[in-house]
Amino acid sequence: MFAVETKSLTKLYGKANALKSLDFTINQGEIMVLLGPNGSGKTTLLLILATVLKPTSGIAKVMGFDAVKQPTQVRQILGIAFQEARGFWRHKPMEILRFHATVCGVPKDKREALIEQVMKDLELWDSRGKLFMHLSGGQAKRLEVAKLLVQRPKLAIFDEPSSQVDLRGKRIIWDNILKLRNEGSTVLVATNEVREAEYLADRITILDLGLSVACDTVKHLKDSIAGGDIVELEVETPNQNNIVKELSKLEGTFRVTALNENQIRAYVSMAEAWVPKMTALCYESNARVLSVRVTEPSLDDVFLHFTGRALGATTG
Amino acid sequence: MRNVIRIIWFDLKQELRPPVWILLEWVTFGVQLFMYGALISKLITIAALSNYQQFYAVGYIIMITFNIGSHTGRHFVEHAHEGRLPYLLSLPISRWKLFLSVMLEGSAELALLLVVPLSVTLLIIGNFTLLSIMSTILTLFCLGFGVSGIMLALSFIAFRSTDIYTAIVTALSTLIIRFSTVFYPLMFLPPSYATAATFSPLTYGSDLVRLILGFDPSLLVNPSIAIAVLTALTVSTLGISAFLLQRLVEGVKSA
Repeated sequence: MFAVETKSLTKLYGKANALKSLDFTINQGEIMVLLGPNGSGKTTLLLILATVLKPTSGIAKVMGFDAVKQPTQVRQILGIAFQEARGFWRHKPMEILRFHATVCGVPKDKREALIEQVMKDLELWDSRGKLFMHLSGGQAKRLEVAKLLVQRPKLAIFDEPSSQVDLRGKRIIWDNILKLRNEGSTVLVATNEVREAEYLADRITILDLGLSVACDTVKHLKDSIAGGDIVELEVETPNQNNIVKELSKLEGTFRVTALNENQIRAYVSMAEAWVPKMTALCYESNARVLSVRVTEPSLDDVFLHFTGRALGATTG
Repeated sequence: MRNVIRIIWFDLKQELRPPVWILLEWVTFGVQLFMYGALISKLITIAALSNYQQFYAVGYIIMITFNIGSHTGRHFVEHAHEGRLPYLLSLPISRWKLFLSVMLEGSAELALLLVVPLSVTLLIIGNFTLLSIMSTILTLFCLGFGVSGIMLALSFIAFRSTDIYTAIVTALSTLIIRFSTVFYPLMFLPPSYATAATFSPLTYGSDLVRLILGFDPSLLVNPSIAIAVLTALTVSTLGISAFLLQRLVEGVKSA
């Protein structure tokens, strides 16, 4: 059984199509990252799974429960940290977490210790007595994440969990999300931040204009770009033209160019397989390899490859 | 049901920390009743009404009820726009329980606000029987529910435009209060004004409360009609608003 499964999931806002017949699955115990620009349908998908929104058509199942027909059962096994912290403006962080934990059924004997631990982990403990409206943007965001860390749902959904948070705070949030997965939760993270996706993802689904355009591990997605890896060589050889020609014939080579009399740049697929072949070829050709530098494609490149647009571009 | 109570208490306790607005409402009631009400009762003479101040006190109670009912409905819409509603919708609580918690929270606020003004009003009218107290409270709660229901039923406008919703609700509130028997009996009103007043739910709410508290029935609308109107208002607006909320809240991007 999939942790999440959608079939032909469609959501219309008036005439705007936020999700277009989306088929999508998440395996139990994995971190699935939804990567896409603003307006790609990420939040809509999360809200449908959380039963906050109803789909226009199609099926959405969470741990086998239908999000439309069995919404209460779905809500009992999932938790969602919203993109923007949902304000109980005049409440204190401690009270908000206590309320959330109680309503979500966290056992009374564990509740207080768990809240304290999570608040300390997310560096919110010193702010426990402040009113929500006096928290900084980053603190409010961390409080939103803290709700799920206290709740520990079977399916934890995070919508841009580290936006508005400083670099150190991001790392803390990401490590806690990984910890949550390691303790048995399935995690769904929506983001448009490449670093976040790379850090967290077991698999990534690229969402664009309400469609899933690719879904795989980070490595496979990067490898799927023909010539996506860049290998820069510094070679001592009497006949550079010959080496360039020979390298061009190697399997996995997309393009080879000479940068100057010693430096060569090769665009290849799967550099880890290509580099050993290259070194063997250079050895046979009496060319001395002085240095090798491999640059992988970024997820930005992956997104560009699959959608034809940069990740930073807004789609609507 | 424990989660319903938790939600109500979670919201309500911050309103009570400190309960300034409740105290202010009580003080305002006192000032209005014992200064303005006392003064105006010297100016108004109605044959079947021995003391206008008592009539005014009941009218003010109705005003408070209307304000709280209206506030509860608007509050729900504000929550949707602030993004708090999606959070509540994502909690492991059924929709009807969530709806119930909104209505009961409004009732609890109403009870808190009315406890002193209603006690004072009953005291100056001199009607302190258990039956009259319970009937009055029941009528006020029905009216409060009905008013909240009207505001909630109109909330679909807010999902399109908050400005239009605010304008419509303000205009409607003004009409409902002004064209009613909240502060003056129907027989005291000019004919065109009196005709308009028969369309206001507050007319039936206030006159029913006055009947229960022993005012002369000749001053008031027919009690059977008042009960029918109030019941119909409460049931229909709550039913419509529950249906609309199911449809609207889960059908639109609320944040």
